[in-house]
Amino acid sequence: MTETVTVRVQRYRPEEDTAPWEQSFEVPYSEDLSILDALNQIKDQQDPTLSHRWSCRMAICGSCGVMVNNEPKLSCKTFLRDYREQAAVTVRALDNFPIERDLVSDISGFIDHLETVQPWLIRSEEQPVSAGAYPQTPEQMQRYAAFSQCINCGLCYAACPQFGRDPAFLGPGALALAQRYNLDSRDEGAAQRMQWLNAGEGVWSCTFVGYCSEVCPKDVDPAAAINRGKVASDINYAVNLLNILRGKDDA
Amino acid sequence: MHKPYIQRQRADWWLRNPAYRRYMLREATALPLFLYTLLLMSGLFQFTRGEAAFLQWLEMLRSPWLLALHGLALAAALFHAVTWIALVPKILVIDTDRLRVSPAAVKLAHQVGAVVCNAGLLLLAVLLLRAAAGN
Ligand code: SF4
Ligand code: FES
Repeated sequence: MTETVTVRVQRYRPEEDTAPWEQSFEVPYSEDLSILDALNQIKDQQDPTLSHRWSCRMAICGSCGVMVNNEPKLSCKTFLRDYREQAAVTVRALDNFPIERDLVSDISGFIDHLETVQPWLIRSEEQPVSAGAYPQTPEQMQRYAAFSQCINCGLCYAACPQFGRDPAFLGPGALALAQRYNLDSRDEGAAQRMQWLNAGEGVWSCTFVGYCSEVCPKDVDPAAAINRGKVASDINYAVNLLNILRGKDDA
Repeated sequence: MHKPYIQRQRADWWLRNPAYRRYMLREATALPLFLYTLLLMSGLFQFTRGEAAFLQWLEMLRSPWLLALHGLALAAALFHAVTWIALVPKILVIDTDRLRVSPAAVKLAHQVGAVVCNAGLLLLAVLLLRAAAGN
């Protein structure tokens, strides 16, 4: 007889349900079975009505984020073998986001925040394409490389109690992305982005819980990015104050 | 049909994950320090009321409860300082084309600073006590 594992999956069908509930499935166990494989097995062999998101199966597309035993995880990068000690594995939709259906979250709030911070190279004067690329040394690239690894999976938002309390908080992913561009030697938009860092929904809403960096599957370390943003915001404040004191401020 | 289920943050969110509990423990270090500050301020107040009142306050400090509070406040301050200094190199990154300081050096500078400041305070206290005893 093949060994099976109990996987408890959160269900929410907007047509019938007023609140999410839990359904148990028995999934044949194998050493290399990911949570995503288990969900696909359930959907293909047991209950075709189950809804969950996935695409790449290799921790690149960022669409398969779920809560596995209350921790935000990419289901394709999380394996049943690591939960052998536990009686069952519970899979829920990501915390802090509205649930569309079963394991499918609406992460549009996060995506909007990403756009807010103007995540593109801003130049005071755009040079024509004929002028060629903006050059950058490997050392200069290294300064923002980690922050550019984000795959927009939203796990850090599910991990963030400040975002859970107030969805207007720009949050770890978006503020890390702002930092990614601010630290890019080719970018000249830090002053424009400062308004978002300084805003009530910006870096100062972060109380450095730090769990976002623990759950990030790409080692982006958004908590470090946000708190470096606080240093930048402080410096900006001091410079402004100095300018006002010297009567140089026209604001 | 579009009827998203809105998840509300539970009041006990901070109890439900070891990472959140660690965070709350760190935040909670403010409580013993708050009580310790109140104690110090009450000492200052008794000081303004004259020698007898202040001596009585000093005597009160010997109570086991207040000794325990001192121990707790010290432990809380140390825990906060150690965990804070461990995080500093991630936040205070000095890495520009002109100036570069390694994370290890940033951390060491903070550790040395903390030790020097605390040792300095201790030295000052000892010197003051000596001067008082000499009178
Ligand atoms: S910072 Fe990490 S956890 Fe957050 S969205 Fe990007 S990859 Fe996901
Ligand atoms: S399926 Fe693409 S990240 Fe998991």
